[in-house]
Amino acid sequence: MTATLSPAVARPAHVPEAAVYDFDMFADPAYVADPHARVLDLLGKAPGVFWTPRNGGHWMLLSHEAIFNAARDVETFSSELMPLDKVEQMQKMMPRHVPLPLPICVDPPAHMKYRGPLNRVFGPKAINDLKDSIRTLAGELVDAIRPQGACDFMSAVAEPLPVQVFLKMLGLPVARMDDYRALVRAHLSDPTPNPMDSVKKLWRIVDTIKDVLEDRRANPQDDIISLLWQLDIDGKPTTMDDMENYCVVLFVAGLDTVMNGMGHGIRHLAQHPELQQELRANPALIGDATEELLRRYTFTVPPRIIGKDTVFAGLEMKRGERAMLFLPAADLDPKAFSHAERFDLKRENKTHIAFNAGPHRCLGSHLARVELQIVYEEMLKRLPLFRLDPAHPPSFHCGHVVGVDTLHLLWNP
Amino acid sequence: MKIRIDKPACVGNARCAAVSAELFPLDDDGYIAVSEIAVPPGMEQLARRGARACPERIIVIEEDVAKS
Ligand code: HEM
Repeated sequence: MTATLSPAVARPAHVPEAAVYDFDMFADPAYVADPHARVLDLLGKAPGVFWTPRNGGHWMLLSHEAIFNAARDVETFSSELMPLDKVEQMQKMMPRHVPLPLPICVDPPAHMKYRGPLNRVFGPKAINDLKDSIRTLAGELVDAIRPQGACDFMSAVAEPLPVQVFLKMLGLPVARMDDYRALVRAHLSDPTPNPMDSVKKLWRIVDTIKDVLEDRRANPQDDIISLLWQLDIDGKPTTMDDMENYCVVLFVAGLDTVMNGMGHGIRHLAQHPELQQELRANPALIGDATEELLRRYTFTVPPRIIGKDTVFAGLEMKRGERAMLFLPAADLDPKAFSHAERFDLKRENKTHIAFNAGPHRCLGSHLARVELQIVYEEMLKRLPLFRLDPAHPPSFHCGHVVGVDTLHLLWNP
Repeated sequence: MKIRIDKPACVGNARCAAVSAELFPLDDDGYIAVSEIAVPPGMEQLARRGARACPERIIVIEEDVAKS
């Protein structure tokens, strides 16, 4: 994907010159060409916390220590990018309810009101019960490509698998798979400067799901939508607005992320035949490999807004400024991980923060881990040695999710 | 040996239980269920590994004072 650098804005007076580093987290050419190589390069060149003039000007937190502290200091590093009273005002001016990505966009203590009910549904026990059906889906997708000897892994496996899992979990009709894949693609397409376009995308998601939401309200079944209808949210029974909020957040947070995680992991495996060999010989190591791939290729960048004037890492930050928790750098920080650039199955310190730290720790982390591990297991079990197609090198996009656009693989069928 | 956990600070990573589900019991939401664990003999190594696996660094091991 080609991207143009955003214009640089002037440095505010309270930001010292030494804290400025010019980095465009959406369009930096070296970053878009090979994201994690550029992250390693940045770690060697840029300060652990810096201010960049790109994309309107914002703070970037790189060091593991800075991000770990910021993620847990929710008063200073707030997730309420738009204050809740403003959100309410905006809702009143709209012709219909605008789905909110709860609980991502609220700070504690209100955060738990919306997150609490979801925890059990996505907890390790509930997710464990899904393993067999996820494995069946993954196996079918890989078997379908095996005779071809080549594929774009992203469109053949990485995108359809999480969509199918999502449909199954929520109890949505699998026959409408193509509609949902179109929604995912529309959601991922280039954002336009008009915020109404993003709102319309959210409405399209809701429109596709709405009839099932209505149906499960009256006829509960054994699926998540039915479960969510039976919850208490902040002491009140679930409303249609709550359901729209939850379905949209699960759609947005659960599909785009897992598929890119798979892309980064499979790319590494395709580049490292010796690792494929080791894991094929000893599949019990694939769990450790999944964790180390998450660390080595951490790929999301949660945004925060400074909630009160502060001094952080020796720098003055003002209320209302934006800060990015640049997780890909935290997990490659040499101060936190020895030989951080190395993929090391036997790494002693496994405490990566690919799912962030603090109260917003990814709700879907248990599901994501299971989906990732199963994809690696089934790819290694069902395909012979696979490699990158030299004629079509992988392509990437950068932003809040650092993703893989295409990943062409070859093998001898 | 004892394990002490800052239970209110748990955010539900469940990495301790991935090391030993027996030693680190979780509640139904996937958060740690207890704040103190007496480590049965023979499980000391698992206890140390479970503590080290916590991304929030809220699990501490209290070694027994050496008996003389
Ligand atoms: C490898 C895949 C994934 C990665 C790397 C990932 C990463 C993250 C990160 C870093 C956050 C924290 C955001 C913040 O601090 O602002 C987060 C939150 C969240 N994730 Fe994931 N995620 C993944 C998969 C999933 C899946 C499969 C689901 C669906 C169930 C999901 C649902 C959520 C939700 C609902 C939140 C908000 C939690 C809160 O605010 O309390 N994620 N994710």
